[in-house]
Amino acid sequence: MQKYSVFSLVKNAFTNHENWEVAWKDPEPKKEYDVIIVGGGGHGLATAYYLAKEHGITNVAILEKGWIGGGNVGRNTTILRSNYMFDSNAHFYEFGMKLWETLSQELNYNVMYSPRGIINLAHSDAQMNAYARRGNSMRLNGIDAILLGRDDLKKMIPFADFSETCRFPIHGGLMQPRGGTARHDAVAWGYARQADSMGVDIIQNCEVTGFDVNNGKIEGVQTSRGNIKTKKVGLCVAGSTTLLADMLNMRLPIEAHVLQACVSEPVKPLLHNVVTFGAGHFYCSQSDKGEMVMGGDLDGYNSYAQRGNMPMIQHVLTGGLAVFPNFSRLKMLRTWGGIMDMSMDGSPIIDKTHIEGVYLNCGWCYGGFKATPSSGFVFAHTIAQDQVHELNSDFNLERFHTGKIIDEKGVGPKPWIG
Amino acid sequence: MSNSFRTTNSTGLINKDKKINFTFNGTIYHGYEGDTLASALIANGVHLVGRSFKYHRPRGFLGVGVEEPNAMVQLHDGNKSEPNIIATEVELVEGLKAKSQNCWPSVQFDIGEINNVLNRFFPAGFYYKTFMWPKSFWMKIYEPFIRKAAGMGKAPLLPDPDRYEHNYEHCDVLVVGSGPSGLASALAAAKNGARVILAEDKPNFGGSLLTDEVTIGNMSGKEWASDTISQLKSMPNVILKKRSQVFGYYDHNMTVMIERVSDHIENPSKYTPRQRLHYIRAGEVIVSTGSIERPISFGNNDRPGIVLASAAKEYMKVYETLVGKKPIIFTNNDTAYSTALEFIKNDIEPIIVDTRDSSNGELVKEVQQKGISIKFNSGIADTKGHLKINSAIIGKLDSSKESFISEETVECDCICMSGGWTPTVHLSSQAGNKLKFNDDIDAFVPDKKRQKETAIGAANGSFTLNQSLAEGFQVGFDLSNKFTDQNNPTNSPNSNEPSYEKHEKLWCMPLPSGKKPKRFIDFQNDVAVSDVELAIREGFRSIEHVKRYTTLGMAGDQGKTSNLNGLQYVSKIEKKIVPEVGHTTFRPPYTPVTIGAIVGREVGNHYLPTRKSPIHTWHEENNAVFVAAGLWQRPRYYPMGSEDMNSAVNREAANVRKNVGICDVTTLGKIDIKGPDAPEFLNRVYTNAWLKLPVGKARYGVMLREDGMVFDDGTTSRLSENHFHMTTTTAQAANVLSHLEYYLQVVWPDLDVNVLSTTEQWSGIAVAGPKSRDLLSKLFPDVDMSNEGLPFMGLVDSSIDGIKARIYRISFSGELAYEVNVESNYGLYTWKKIMEVGQSFDIQPYGTEALSTLRIEMGHVAGAELDGRTIPFDVGLNSMVSQKKDFIGKRSLSKDAFTESDRQTIVGLVPLDKKTKIPEGSHIIEDNSAVAPIPKLGHVSSSCWSVEYNNPFSIAIIKDGKNKIGKNLYAVSPLKDISIPVEVVSSHYVDPEGSRVRS
Amino acid sequence: MLEIKCPYCGKRSQNEFSYGGDATIKRPQLGEEISTEDWDNFVYYRDNPRGKHSELWHHVSGCRQWFKVSRDTATHEIFDTCKMNEDFNV
Repeated sequence: MQKYSVFSLVKNAFTNHENWEVAWKDPEPKKEYDVIIVGGGGHGLATAYYLAKEHGITNVAILEKGWIGGGNVGRNTTILRSNYMFDSNAHFYEFGMKLWETLSQELNYNVMYSPRGIINLAHSDAQMNAYARRGNSMRLNGIDAILLGRDDLKKMIPFADFSETCRFPIHGGLMQPRGGTARHDAVAWGYARQADSMGVDIIQNCEVTGFDVNNGKIEGVQTSRGNIKTKKVGLCVAGSTTLLADMLNMRLPIEAHVLQACVSEPVKPLLHNVVTFGAGHFYCSQSDKGEMVMGGDLDGYNSYAQRGNMPMIQHVLTGGLAVFPNFSRLKMLRTWGGIMDMSMDGSPIIDKTHIEGVYLNCGWCYGGFKATPSSGFVFAHTIAQDQVHELNSDFNLERFHTGKIIDEKGVGPKPWIG
Repeated sequence: MSNSFRTTNSTGLINKDKKINFTFNGTIYHGYEGDTLASALIANGVHLVGRSFKYHRPRGFLGVGVEEPNAMVQLHDGNKSEPNIIATEVELVEGLKAKSQNCWPSVQFDIGEINNVLNRFFPAGFYYKTFMWPKSFWMKIYEPFIRKAAGMGKAPLLPDPDRYEHNYEHCDVLVVGSGPSGLASALAAAKNGARVILAEDKPNFGGSLLTDEVTIGNMSGKEWASDTISQLKSMPNVILKKRSQVFGYYDHNMTVMIERVSDHIENPSKYTPRQRLHYIRAGEVIVSTGSIERPISFGNNDRPGIVLASAAKEYMKVYETLVGKKPIIFTNNDTAYSTALEFIKNDIEPIIVDTRDSSNGELVKEVQQKGISIKFNSGIADTKGHLKINSAIIGKLDSSKESFISEETVECDCICMSGGWTPTVHLSSQAGNKLKFNDDIDAFVPDKKRQKETAIGAANGSFTLNQSLAEGFQVGFDLSNKFTDQNNPTNSPNSNEPSYEKHEKLWCMPLPSGKKPKRFIDFQNDVAVSDVELAIREGFRSIEHVKRYTTLGMAGDQGKTSNLNGLQYVSKIEKKIVPEVGHTTFRPPYTPVTIGAIVGREVGNHYLPTRKSPIHTWHEENNAVFVAAGLWQRPRYYPMGSEDMNSAVNREAANVRKNVGICDVTTLGKIDIKGPDAPEFLNRVYTNAWLKLPVGKARYGVMLREDGMVFDDGTTSRLSENHFHMTTTTAQAANVLSHLEYYLQVVWPDLDVNVLSTTEQWSGIAVAGPKSRDLLSKLFPDVDMSNEGLPFMGLVDSSIDGIKARIYRISFSGELAYEVNVESNYGLYTWKKIMEVGQSFDIQPYGTEALSTLRIEMGHVAGAELDGRTIPFDVGLNSMVSQKKDFIGKRSLSKDAFTESDRQTIVGLVPLDKKTKIPEGSHIIEDNSAVAPIPKLGHVSSSCWSVEYNNPFSIAIIKDGKNKIGKNLYAVSPLKDISIPVEVVSSHYVDPEGSRVRS
Repeated sequence: MLEIKCPYCGKRSQNEFSYGGDATIKRPQLGEEISTEDWDNFVYYRDNPRGKHSELWHHVSGCRQWFKVSRDTATHEIFDTCKMNEDFNV
């Protein structure tokens, strides 16, 4: 594999960039693999990479029905954080943060990890208390968190609404300084390139149409490009999980919902942190291109359409102007939607299933992107060792029966309620 | 050189009698009424407008409308400053100020242009390959450097002073675009009686009829357009909207349109909104959005002065402006010849370069007849001129058209290029239409529709006037017939237009010999042919990968002039036909939309409604400090003199414990429940028993969600056999009502019960404290307030000064207390009356803070404990859970995790020093010297200063709480660097027997 | 913005309604002996088809009636709506 560096860039500049190799190959599927990962998104690609790197399993195929990185890894708002209250989430996401910190070097691909800090704005003392509960929990778990006062915030986001007429004045906020953003496409491509270099077959335009299960054991996968034998299958198809689970006669505590995001036209740098509004559904960061990347809440009804409707865009931007009234004269450039696997407690599922050799990675709700490295890491472990890793031991299916649910929001099994 | 690039004719749409002054980059120019900023600048010989995103290359105008990728400016300053405005869409208005963006120190001399010199080091995706070492440099050096270069214009820093409005419309037929097919369909539909809305983005209706030399019936195209508009204007069933862009096509035929209302008016009234957003629900949508001309890629095809041929024509015909006086027309098709003819009309002889071997089209012949020779089988290889084009290198193509045989340099001051036409299919695609590729026109056109959307005319790939009119009249009639019974078709008039020969499938010129100039595809994002080649070489072969890797089509113009050229180039390299390559998804908005317009009037204090109790004015007059409780504003405390919050709260709370306090509890949710099955219903909704509640008695109830978590709590009373009055928390009022309706209508429709919100019908006033009985006895002398007459949890109807009142003996404070309910309108009067009579009992109002203090001391749970993650056993509500009957959520309570012995449960905490208040949100730990990760026993949910014992007290929910009572632990808040040794006590800190409420 | 036909009020825009999820869930009878698994299926498990979905909506800013909607989750097309005690026609 070619090494990427400023030297290789300069060298290739003098040969008109005609000698760059492909980032990943385009192989025909083989007859059999040790492991098949269904879904060429961030989690699938990362899982394949860690299977090869951590477990030496390289006879692996990633089957992607479209083009890699075309699902939620390429449709999110690129936010990284581990600002969770419950231990199971905190430890898992914090492990991920540590992987993010060195991911560009590890993958030899600049994923533009940018720890610009994520700020949750609070608009009342009660909200400050709720944030303090979470922030203190983070600190006790060894995760960075600081409280910000109104005056701190006036310096950081002076253009936010600190006026007398503000409907929900800013009281303060909770900040995770190491939170931030990364370039979403680069994450998918970086993992793909490394996985490919270690022998993983990335097979695009290959849709899984069925599974061969015999005596409770997986034996192979049926695809639009023929049948492929395997002993282990990992499902990494957030957004379509139920559709594949149906083929395996598995019923899951998951609903599909569409989440929209939008960007403004690029403007000169202004907003240097990720900011979430506490009195409505709105969060925002400014990309390295200058676009304000904005998101909010689900459209609010089951949907498999990768596009949303106008009311939620209006709702989110209304929240946006409540925080940043100066955004009014910016223009919304582009909107898009992704399908979320909404689990019934808002936390993911990474587990074995009742079928031997079938492993499940789903239920990422709004938060799958930041989990890409840690999810891939623990899922690879779960598949390779046929047992869950300590970090995903609470993310099991059983919790919906035992009652050990991990509900950060506390709204209960109604995923459409924000 | 003022307006030296004006034509001498006056056949356009500008008014040369009305001069308009404007400023660009500090220089004052003038244009005329009807000009755009673009046409006025071009008329003044200004082509250099801004700099491109990545390489900071000098850029001018490519187009004449929404397709413009280059000519972006910053308009106005201060709070009206607006970035990234395309000059072609700005109507000139007196005093307009514009400046170039993305350049420093000036657009003529821009330091950032160094990027262009070094552009070989910045190919597509270069940043993925570098800036990784050393690791710490990315955040400190590389990224700040990249961020500095980010963005085009500057965002204003102040709130927007302008107003935006929303409008909701319904119509039978919405016609988007007022070119020939749009006008025809609107006319046909309107004449057939349908309710029609016709939307046009530009300030003038007519579309291509304003520039094309055609005749319809016995009129010129332009006259026919104007005549048709007059007819439509006179019809009451038609709404005509110009300056209005339909930018989104959503589900269920909902389209969204943005109307520019006042930017073009010199002094708009302050009541005029700047823009208006229209939600239009249309029975049928006719997409007559026309087409956009395609550029051609050739060396340095981005210099100021290189424009689309159709734009050059429109500048001449509509704006009476010449893009240049030494033009080259460069084309692969016939339509650009109409631009050539327009130049000839203005006594300018263009040089014509045509990639084709020949053409026998009518316009080509006409040009030839005027003695102009055409360079067939030729193309432009490269151009020169730093800030504006000054010459072109024209090459003779070889037979394969893959290279040039010979090259010559020709002076020029503009190039008008045409690579054919792309139907504007965005709205159809947004509506879910699966597009198909039309080989004849080499572009995608709408195919199978999913919604009630019909594309006609050029948007449908029908490029002749004849076809457009025929489709327009037919479709307008057919669709309107679904809504009217008039069956009144309008015939298409005869029309005349020149015939065209086919275009050549060639959109990218070979490189000039020995050079590798950039051949741009996407101008704004600086995506060149070499970038697409690189992407494919590196395996980014899906068109979506090409888009994301190179950023092709992701700029402000969203690829209106670049997507198809990119696609065509990918298909050429990959040797695939275009439909196999596929196209990227078209998403709303079609053009960027002002965020303020999307939001409308819900800004500032109107972000959400503000709810105020009927007693609000009294609170204001009496110095209350308010706190938001959801949408409500509630008095938090009433400071006296120089009191701070703590002293005021302690005073208020102590006064309740000692004398009597009064608190506005109007915000509590109230639900009227009636029906023979009401007791049974409550018995199912609440965890405790309700069947035997006597009439005239109230009871505290807790309701769960089906997953076993506490959902809400409150007091409900039985007014008569089948009539109950439920109260809910302020926060959950609306959710509880929906919850009750759900169970009554969906789950147990057999129950005969009705529920109705009465939150706004009642004003609630809590009167609490040992002197409350005496006070109420004085206020309601007819009522026996004794324990026998009105016992705890009793209620009685009475009146005060003729106002009907209902008195409940209930208590949240833990003191002897009552709640007086009157009709909302009498709330203020009653409050004042109680205050007046209460003076002799030392009555004081208390706010939500004192209310919290009082309930925390008593160990009463509230929102901080009932946070959607606690079951009744966690928060000490064990006695509320009936073992005898079933209720909502009961089955969940027997889950393994819910019955574990060491589950977190409610306790009280007192700091060992009896001084340090424990911050809410602190966690409880055993070992104060542990290092992270430190095991947490639980958290502090509520804290107060106990006015009873004069020391801090907190409620916490901790692991195996009951067995921790008496133990010493630490409450820690690492965020505040606080660690407080605490003793665990019962959560019922004051009056654990509850004797006071019954006193 | 969806357009939903309330069976009581007629066609209204989506912003008058709130969503209620899978309409095929049947709450177990009160007092019914039920296995943990069956109970959890009721609480946590839903139909989640790509295509025709039977779901509940609540006309909160209208007549406050809950009713059933048959809707395509991929195209958002609404096939039919009906009262709680009725069945879809299509």
